[in-house]
Order: sequence, then C-alpha cells, then structure tokens
Amino acid sequence: MNGDMLIVLTLALVSLPIRFYHFQDPPEVVFDEVHFGKFAGEYINGTFYFDVHPPLAKMLTALVAQVFSYNGDFDFGTIGNSYLGSSVPYAEMRAVCVLLGVLLVPASFVTLRTGGHSAPAALFAALLVLFENSLSTNSRFILLDAYLLLFTAWTLLSWAMFLKHRNTPFTLEWWWWLSATGFGLGCAVSCKWVGLFTIATIGCSTLYHVWGLWGDLRVSKISFFKHFVARIICLIGLPIAIYVFCFYVHLELLSLTGSGDSYISPHFQHSLVGRDIIETPSDVVYGSIVSIRHLGTNGGYLHSHASNYPEGSKQQQVTLYPYEDENNLWRILKANSSNESEEVQHDILGSDNKTWLQYVRSGEMIKLEHLITRPRKLHSHNEKPPLSDEESYKEVSAYGFPDFDGDANDFWVVKTIGEALESRIQALQSQFQLIHTLQTCALYSGNKKLPDWGFGQQEVACIQNGKIPKTLWMIEQVAHDLLPLEKTRMTSYPRYSFWQKFKELHGLMWRANNDLKESHPYQSRPSEWLMLVHGISYWERDGRHIYLLGNPIIYWTVTVTVFIYMILSFFFKLRQQRGVAERFQPDLLQFYKRAAGFYAMAWAFHYLPFYLMGRQLFLHHYLPALYCGILLVGVSVDLVLQKFKWKLSQWIFVFTLTAIAICAFFNFAPLSYGLPWNRESCIRSQWLPYWDFGCERFSTIGHFANPNPKHAEL
Amino acid sequence: MADSSLRQRRQPLDTKENAQQPAFSRNDIKKITQLQKQHELNEKNGHTILFLAITALSTFVSFFKIWYPAEVVFDEVHFGKFLGYYLRRTYFFDVHPPLGKLLLAAVGYLIGYDGHYEFNDIGESYEANHVPYVALRTFPAALNVLSVSLVYSIMKQSGYAKSICFLTAALVCFDNALVAQNRLIMLDSVMIFFILITVYSYIRFRKLRYQEFSTSWWLWLFATGAGLGCTLSIKMVGLFVVTAIGISVLVDLWALLDIQRGLTMNHFTRHFYARAVALIVVPAMIYLTCFYIHFAILIESGPGDSFMSSQFKDTLKNSATRMKALDIHYYDNITLSHRDTDVYLHSHSLVYPLRYEDGRISSNGKQVVGIEEPDINSWWQVLPATENEKADDDWASRTIRHDDVIRLKHIGTDWILLTHDVASPILSTNEEFTTVAPGERFNETLFKVVLEDPNNMNTWQTGMTAFKLFHMDTKVALWTHEQHLPEWGLGLQDVNGNKNLNERSNFWVAQEIQGKNATEINLSVKQTVKTMPFLRKYLELQGRIFSHNAGLTKPHPYQSAPISWPVMLRGISYWSKDETREQIYMTGNVVGWYLGLASVAIYSGVFLADLISRHRGIEPIDGPVRQRFVNNGGFFFMLYLLHYLPFFVMGRVLFLHHYLPAAVCSYMLLGAVLQFMFVDGITSPISNLQRNASAKIHRHTSVLDPMTAAPDRTSKIMLAIVLSCQVAMFLFLAPMTYGSPSMTVDQVLQHKIFSGWDLQFAK
Repeated sequence: MNGDMLIVLTLALVSLPIRFYHFQDPPEVVFDEVHFGKFAGEYINGTFYFDVHPPLAKMLTALVAQVFSYNGDFDFGTIGNSYLGSSVPYAEMRAVCVLLGVLLVPASFVTLRTGGHSAPAALFAALLVLFENSLSTNSRFILLDAYLLLFTAWTLLSWAMFLKHRNTPFTLEWWWWLSATGFGLGCAVSCKWVGLFTIATIGCSTLYHVWGLWGDLRVSKISFFKHFVARIICLIGLPIAIYVFCFYVHLELLSLTGSGDSYISPHFQHSLVGRDIIETPSDVVYGSIVSIRHLGTNGGYLHSHASNYPEGSKQQQVTLYPYEDENNLWRILKANSSNESEEVQHDILGSDNKTWLQYVRSGEMIKLEHLITRPRKLHSHNEKPPLSDEESYKEVSAYGFPDFDGDANDFWVVKTIGEALESRIQALQSQFQLIHTLQTCALYSGNKKLPDWGFGQQEVACIQNGKIPKTLWMIEQVAHDLLPLEKTRMTSYPRYSFWQKFKELHGLMWRANNDLKESHPYQSRPSEWLMLVHGISYWERDGRHIYLLGNPIIYWTVTVTVFIYMILSFFFKLRQQRGVAERFQPDLLQFYKRAAGFYAMAWAFHYLPFYLMGRQLFLHHYLPALYCGILLVGVSVDLVLQKFKWKLSQWIFVFTLTAIAICAFFNFAPLSYGLPWNRESCIRSQWLPYWDFGCERFSTIGHFANPNPKHAEL
Repeated sequence: MADSSLRQRRQPLDTKENAQQPAFSRNDIKKITQLQKQHELNEKNGHTILFLAITALSTFVSFFKIWYPAEVVFDEVHFGKFLGYYLRRTYFFDVHPPLGKLLLAAVGYLIGYDGHYEFNDIGESYEANHVPYVALRTFPAALNVLSVSLVYSIMKQSGYAKSICFLTAALVCFDNALVAQNRLIMLDSVMIFFILITVYSYIRFRKLRYQEFSTSWWLWLFATGAGLGCTLSIKMVGLFVVTAIGISVLVDLWALLDIQRGLTMNHFTRHFYARAVALIVVPAMIYLTCFYIHFAILIESGPGDSFMSSQFKDTLKNSATRMKALDIHYYDNITLSHRDTDVYLHSHSLVYPLRYEDGRISSNGKQVVGIEEPDINSWWQVLPATENEKADDDWASRTIRHDDVIRLKHIGTDWILLTHDVASPILSTNEEFTTVAPGERFNETLFKVVLEDPNNMNTWQTGMTAFKLFHMDTKVALWTHEQHLPEWGLGLQDVNGNKNLNERSNFWVAQEIQGKNATEINLSVKQTVKTMPFLRKYLELQGRIFSHNAGLTKPHPYQSAPISWPVMLRGISYWSKDETREQIYMTGNVVGWYLGLASVAIYSGVFLADLISRHRGIEPIDGPVRQRFVNNGGFFFMLYLLHYLPFFVMGRVLFLHHYLPAAVCSYMLLGAVLQFMFVDGITSPISNLQRNASAKIHRHTSVLDPMTAAPDRTSKIMLAIVLSCQVAMFLFLAPMTYGSPSMTVDQVLQHKIFSGWDLQFAK
C-alpha cells in the first residue's frame, strides 16, 4: 500500500500545477458564473432567489466567498464583466473548484485500486481524468459541476471500499463506508438532481448484493433483516436527511425578500422578512372594499384600469397586476340588491350601531365594483378574450356607466373549495372560484401576458370546464367603514412552515426544469455527446476563447469501450449458453464481469436518462457519465494487462496510451485555458467540422492584434 | 411460513444427469396425449355453445341501434373524410399508415359510396348528405364482434376453464368504451382485431413447438407475421405488439440455444431464419404493400400536397404548386417567404435603434424584417455577383442554379441586402440583417442560393424549390422565427442570420415574379405528370409521418395524461345533441377497468412473492399452475404493459381511447388472475406433446404432471358476481354509450361517477 500512497501523492502533486495553471485568468465573468456567482452573493445578502438546482453546491460556493470576505454587492450581469475592482474573491472561489477537480484524479486511482485492479490500470484511469479537457475546463470556474463530480466520485470510492468489506458485515469499517456512500449520495443529489442517477446506480448494485444474501441460506432471516435495514438507513435515510437539511439551511440563510419573490406564492412571500405584514379583518361583509389575489399563478391581484381592450368588446380591461395598487380595489355588492323585498340578514351590527351588515357566504351571488372607475363592474360575456382564443374562454371586462345598474352579466357566484356551502368567506383563508352564471364559466388567469396595450400585465378570462387550480382566488385585504373592528378577528398571512416551503419549491423547480425548452445555440442532444460533436463557448475576448471541448481521444475511447463491453458480454453469454468452455479462470472472468458491469451500469444510468428529457441539454451534462466511463476503461485496460507477463511491459503499454491522450490534451489546451492561439494550429485542430470554436478569431502567426475593420466601424 | 402446503424445493429437473434421459417415457406421453384428446372431446360441445352464445351476445351489443346517431361522431370527422379521399383518389396526408383507412374505403367502394361528403363537423347529419353510414359502421362493429370471439378463443387455447373463457369474453363484450368506440367509423376496432389475431396465432404457434417445421407450425407462424404486418399498417401503435411478440420470440430462441436442449447450431439456425422471415420480412412486405396501394390509389393532387416535397407533388395530377412554378432569371423582382412561418422578407427605411434596451449596440442600419402580408416593400431584385450595378442583357437571360452566388436589391429603397458580425436585435447569438447603399461593402452582400433538392431540380423556381440563402462572408443562413420586434420594428417578425446552416427552418420559397402570371404561363404549356420510384415516395412519406406525429403537441380540450386512463378520471365527449339532450360520452366500464387494474397489481404481487420465496428455497405454487401463471399470464401481463407504458414517454397529444388495446389485454390478464384465484388447478398440459421427427432431440421442458382444472361451485358464484357487476355497470352507462335515450339533469348527475366526468347537460 506504500507504493500506492506514493502514487497518490505524486498524482496530486502533478495535477496541481496542470489544473491551477492560469486559474485566475480571465478576471471576468465566465459562462454560468453569471448565475452561480450571483447566487453566492444572494446567500451573503440573505435575499431569496429561485433556481432549478438544489442548494448544496451553491451554498458551499457562498461559504468560500464569505470566508474570503465577499460583501455580495457585485452585479454579475453578463459574461465578460470584469471582476477587477470588485470585492468578489473570484480567484479563491475558482481555486476551490480547481482543487475539487484535482481531487478527482487520486479518487479515480483509489477507487480502481480498492476494486482490486492493478496499479498500472488504475494509474492509467487517473491520468485520463487528469488530462481530460472538459473535466479540466469545467472545474476551473465557479460552477456546480466540480462539486457534483467530486461527490459522485466519492460515492463510487466509498462503495468500492464498502464492497471490499462486505464479507465482514457490521464491523466499524463496514458501517463507516456504508454511511460514507450514503453521505456522498446525499451531497451529490443536493448539488444537482443528476445525483439521482448515482442513487440509481448504487441502488441497483445494492439490490444485486441483497438478492445474493437472500438466496444464501447460511444467512439467517434475522441477519438478512439487519442487512436490509442497515442499507435502508444509510443509503436512503441518510441521503434524504442530508437533502432536506440542505434545504433547511438554504431557507434559513435566505430569509429576506429578493429576486425570487415573483416565482413563489403569496404565502411563501409573506414568510420572508422585508414584506409589509398585512393585517386585515377576516370577516367579509357586503359593501367591503377588497383586494383579490389569484392563487393559481403569481400574477398578483385582480386589477382594472381606465384603458380599454383594443379588440373584442372594446370595454375596459381587467388584468392581473403583481404589485399593490389602488386599481386592485373592488367593492363587493350583493347581486340582487335591486330587489327591495330581499331582507338583509342581521349578521353583525355596524359600528354606527344602527346598520346591519351581512357576511358574504359561499354560494351567494355577488357583483364586484371597481372602486376607481366606479360604477364599472366585473363583467363577462360571449366574446373571445384577447389571447386565449379557444372556444371555452370568454372575455372579462369592467363594464358599466352612471345611471345604469348593470346587467346579469355582472353576476358572479362565490364558490369556496373545501368548505361547506353557506360558510362565511374569510380573508386570507377561503379559496374560492368566481362562477359567471350566464356563461357558466369561472374567472381564470393563465401565464399569458398582454401586449403593450395591456402594459404587459397578465390576461384574465373566464373559462368553461377549466382546471380548478387556475380558477382559485383569495381575498387579501378587506376594509369596511362600518365594520366594528372590536368584534372581528384580525388575520394575516399564516407563516409557511418549512415543509410547505420545501414542497412548493420542489413543484417550482420541477416545472422550471421542464420549461427550459427554448433553443440555445450551444445546446446538444445526448446522442451527440458520444462522439463529442458539439462544444460550448464559455468566454471570448481579443483572440482568446474558452471553449468547453472534451479530449476527443478520451471521449471516443470511452464510447468504444462501452460498445466493446456490450458486445463482449453478449458474446460470453452466448458461449455460456452453448456450453463452450472458457480459457479464462472462472473466478477471474466473474471478477471482471462484475467490475466492468458495475461501471458500465453507472455510465448507462448517468447517460441514458437524458434521452427522456425534453429540456435543453449541454455537453457538461455528460461529465458524470464520462467519469464512470473512464473507470470502465481502467477496468478494461486492467483486463488487457493480464496478457502482459512482464511487469515493465505493462507500464510501457499504459504510458504509451497515456501519451496519446496527453498530446491531444495539450493540443486543445489553448481552448481549455483560454490562452492565445494561432489560426494555423486551430485549423489543424478542427478534427470534426461541427466544432464551432471559430478559427477566424485567432490571428495567423506573426500577425497579432489585427484590428477587425468591421468592429472598428461600429 | 410454516404452512404445510408449502413444499421444499424439489430436485431441479435441469441438472446434467436428467438431461441425458428424457424425464418421461414415450408411453407416458402417449397416455397424456390420449387423456388430452378425451378431455378435448368432453369439452368440445360446451365450448361451442358458449362460443356461439358470446358471439350472439356481442353481435347484439355491438349492432344495437347502430343507425343512431345519424350524425358525424367525433373522429368520424377524420376517418370519414379520408375514406372519401380514397374514393375520390385525392391525395391526403395522415399520421397513420394506410391499411385501416384502406379497409374502410374498400367497404365504401363495395357498397357504391362515391366519397362526395366532406365530414366537416361533428354533429352534421348523414341523412341530409346521403351518406351510407350504417353500412360503413357495420364493418368496425363486425370486427368488434369478432374481437370478442377471438378473446374467447385465446382463453380457450391458453387452457383456461370454460367459465373463465366465457367470463373474459363477456367482460370485453360489455365494456362501454370498446362498444362506444368500435361501432363508429374509426380505426381502433380494426386495430384491436388484428392485435388479437396476432396474439391468437402466436399462442397456436407456441402450442405446436414439439412439431417443429410441420405444416400447421408454419401456418401459424406466418399467420402471426401477417397479423403483425396488418396491425403495424393500421397505426404505429402496432409497434407495441411487434415488441411483445419480438420479446417472446427472443426468449424462446434463447431457450432453444441452450446447450442442454441438444440442438445443433444448424438446427437452431433453421429456427432462427424461419422466425426472421415470418416475423420480420412478412410484416415489412405487408407494410410496404399497403403504402404501395395507397400511392396507387391516390393520384390526384389534394389537401396532402402541402406536406410533401416538390418532387413528390410533381407526381400528382393537377398539382397547384406545379402551376405556380416559373424559372427565376437575373434582374427578376421576386417575393421570398419563409417556409415554416409563412412571412415575407421585407425591408423599409426604418433603422435599428442604435442602442437596445439591454444595452447592446446595433449597426443602426435599415431594418430587414418578416411581414405576414406582402406589400410594395417585399419585392427584391436578384442581381448577379458583379460589382457592376447596371442591368446586363447577358445575365438577364440566365436562370439561377444550385450554388450560384447572387445579391438581392430591395426595390422599395434601392439598397442591397447584407449581413455582418453584429448581434441581431433579439438573439445575440445570431447575426443582424440590414441593407446598404449600392456599391458599398460588396463582399458582404454576396449570398449563395442552396436548393433543397438539387439532384431533382437544379434551377431556382418560384413555388416549387425551397432554398437556403448562405452568406458567403460570415457563413450564416437567412433565417426568421416567430418572435416579433418591439415597437421600433412595428411588431414585425425578427429576421437574422443563423449560424447553424443545417437547420430545417432555414428554408425559404420564392413566391412570385413581378409582372409574370405563373398560372397563365403554365396553362399555355402542356403539363406532364412525373413518376418517382415507390421506395423514395415511401421513405419521404414515412419521414413526414414521424415528424408530424412528434409535432402533434397542440393541446386539445379532451386530451388526458396516461396516468389517468385506467382509473378513468375523465372521459371524452364524442357527440351531443341539444334538442334531445342526448350524448355519447366515452368512458370504460368502471367495474371492468378497475378489476383490470387490480389484476395487474395482484399479478405483480403474486409473481414477486413467488420469485422471492423461490430464491429462498420455498415453492408456494404447484408446478403446472405456476408454469401457466408465469408463462401465459406473463405474456398477457407483458402485452398489457407494452400497450400502456410507452405512452408515458410520448410527447404527443394523448386521448383516453389510446388505452383501449391495453384495456383488452388487461381483461385477458384478469381472466388469468381469476382462474388463479378462484379455480383449483389448471388444465395441463395443453400443448401438443407428440413430437415429429425433426423435434426428436427436443427435450420437454414443461412439467408433465397431467392435471385438470376443477371449477367448484364457489368459484362459479364468484365469477357470476363479477360478470353481473360488469353487466349492471354496462347497462347503467349505456345511455352515454349508445347516445340514447336522453337523460334528465338528475340522471346526468347520477351518471357522473367521477367528478372529472364533464358530461353535457348536467345543468
């Protein structure tokens, strides 16, 4: 093991200069540092933001920033903004990512050694990891992938350690490595949901081993049960606990209102510090002035203003408006108040001690009068709304003029959800639909923004047979002159518990993930990753270009190895079925089948699910699969090395292979590190016509600083 | 677990020693075969009676009031229309392969319908339009009856007890969704019929495995292949049954390959090729033949033209685009429209704002945009790539060919089209298009005309030939997308340079040449209809079918998610009539579908429990019973999963009726599970054990404990209860299935079993 320690140390020492080379350069915002740098600032300021990824990696980035005294005031804006003169400790933040990337190198070595593979093969895999351009580029900047990759690698390492100790169950080492695996899983999935693929990998491997235990009649049922429960606790319980804990810390840190407010529900918003606390009487009586909030979207309050629809009925617009405003105020009136014979129910005596007030109850018919443009009332009729032009949508407007009492198209029935008919409507509590009786439709809003004539506000329409969530409304504030405040209960937004926030955030993240559909010039499909068809432009300036491109030799080797693995395993299966005797020792064959099978499965689990994703995908999504693929290459090389009887020839073989990969690495290094390059080398490196790093940006040898006349003109 | 009925693991049969000598002697097999024959004879009459009874019942259920409603119902809109196109020989486009529609059209042809009616809207009267709709509906309804009979036969061939066979077929017969769907002019009934034919043939084939290469063995193998081909030629959903049969065949072949079977490699290869020919070549031939007939019938230009390439359109009579085609010469003034978004290339003297809202800077040049209605500013003159601005007669006589380099002059402003390395207003990754005064920046105004299909048509023409315009200097293609510029651009469509040259959305079409009336010119020349090899026609249509199917994502008010199907959260309103308050609302039989779902759960539970206990050395289920449960039940289980789960990964719009094939499979699985739960034992073996000469080396792998199912009185009572629940529910929902009689509001509300059922006339 001493030899191994030496190799590990050497590997680390060699990796450091290679990976740290020029790590402060460029002192500008690169690629997604736009997002993740900004998020670090949000943690330091404590302002709430919303993002599709779980928080762990972002919190660790923020921790680094905090330690190196970032005050959170930098606006990352766009790619290319300069860090110089700001308080962003970008060099330190990047250094941590680079360091994590460096750790990946010895991790791969130790993983393979632990699995029982030879030192030359393990070293080979480690060198492939070190000289892989995309792994290098992606861990040079403030991105999440460096964290994710390290946690994935840690998980695989711990699992290899655990399997090594599987014949001595319930010892200290056994427990330690089992929980270490669970820890790695929890951290990986708390960085990005891609960690779920790692969970699937370990889960399948666990099932395989547990199935073996169950079939082993020497293991008693009690003992099996212990095995089973231990795995559930460590591999399911522990990751869930870590995941939830990350979110807990995340929400504790981000206690102030911030840029994420517009994504979350009003209840969530009001649980953040910095919101005006709304306090309102909970009872709603006829004649009250109310503001009504839409619950299905975060569009805001039911709103109207003195501009008309340019089409349809040409009556006054009704929209959703996200901020508090006088135009959000409506007066609730009883619908058949013109009918004199109707008795006012004596619910509560007004503060003048002579007027009786009546509560608004579910199932009753009301009118809503817009306070500012009185006597216009909320109105719907058989016209098509401006944006939703399907048959089942009706336009909603504010309609009415002095001396006209309105018509039956102003009548809406309040219908609460989950409460009995005739229950009282309560501010901030009752969720209700407003049903238009004549059109049998419900007041609705979707996520559609009106054009300029509607000031970009959200469309409100009336929908027939709509889904319930988007037709739900809630009264946020109530005021009535005569309401005796001493007799009513005051209410305000209930504070969201952690679990409610957790649940809501996940719904939002899931939807946001699926909505990432618009096309991006550097996106790619999973099928293109295998052959490394596309790269990603990270940053460019003055003839320097940082372009995420893998080491093609390594990418292609991994792909070929995976296919060879599949063909070979089918081939061996076939021979077995036909009863052909193998020249390999059975144990040896079994050993390699199991090891290669595990890493091939890990590769497949980290790669294939992307085919099912409709969202935009990028080359860097392939990196975890690539890491597993490199380990598979390591195992395969180990198998090939069995053929070499002489130890030295093994080393020679391995170093020759490595040399090819290293040459390719240095060939593409200018793109990985953003170093100056020349057009000739660039064109020579254009191995595939699809690589769009753009050689024309580099000057030819001897012609540096060739000012482009086109740019000069602008 | 101390149940005495659980046996410890028996000596496994598959050990090496056992392989040498057959487990059963020839005499045993003879005895078993005799028993089998006797049993069959005893059962025969009973089966015949039950079979006829269920067929008669199903006929009544399917044909009851088939003439009602005498109006267009739901998707009859589509399939009726397509049928008419066949009869009028007019080219149309549909996402389904042709066989189902061809069969419907054949019925129409035989009864002398001329296809005049357009089936425009749901609810239009057939009688007023003189459509022989009853005869047309007879065909799907008849196939529905045959499907029910087939289910009976499948269960019988699989060796289930008489009562189970009858029950399963009756459950299928009394399913509201199947009845509602399958008596209308639609494809589902045809498809379900062919799925069942395939399953039936395959089971017959499997039962003959000890008489390999015998005549009936070949017959049923080819019948399976033909069934696969026909199913696939009706809807792409046929791929599911192809997968199911494919998996079974692979498992079967893998077992044959086992060295302990004793088959030589030669022998195995024969098995392999027999299956490859029957199950791959035959279906493929049938599939292609259907398309061949499709093209042979549809020879007139019609509504399907617009989906096809110009070369394809040329093969149709009276093609409208053909009439619009004219060669473009230099100095012609033309309009250009973007193929995907239908906007015309347009420019005017308004300029890009120097600084956009997000702080980026533009060239401040004149705008180039896309406009929906062409106007005076949409004319462009094609100039040759010479610095000389003056018209030149030598050039003027020339047409423009593939890869020619041209310049475009905007007629309204007299400026030349140009693009350059400046970010476009909306997409900062794409290049801005603008115009410059003549004579300036010559190199940046050069564009290459790249035609879509230069091998077929090498000359740039209006109407016919789609083309891309590549910028010579910066290698971008003229492109536009459905995003509109803000107020400074009058809300017109953003046009820019796309760096991805290969995108399909880069294509433009020249529409008109100023001063030339294409139709008049073309009418004066005699038009010839071109031909095109069948395979190329087929490949083109198949490609369009795939891309169009994937593009069917526009939401529909009655679409539903696969997860909601088996629990029937929502149905589909097929038809309603306000005057009489009648409606057809498609939902399954609540009893049957929930029982089907339960059977899936029970099957998985029992299977897993058995698997887990066997791994621990305990065998809870008896040999033949387990064998049937795993093999035959497993086949039904797989059929069900393969007809249901793939929908979860489909992006297209989905409807409840996509679940119907899966529902039929779930009924068969339900039959298997009910037998397992309520009937003691199983009739086994049911395969023909007599071996023919070539199969001598085969080892019997099935467990040869002869056994007969013994349904007792309790089981019969249980089955009767299930059936009566199903029938009761069927009758309860019948008014919504048959569209009559009308229901009062109270009745409608009563029938609203789930709150998601959006029945008409509920108020």
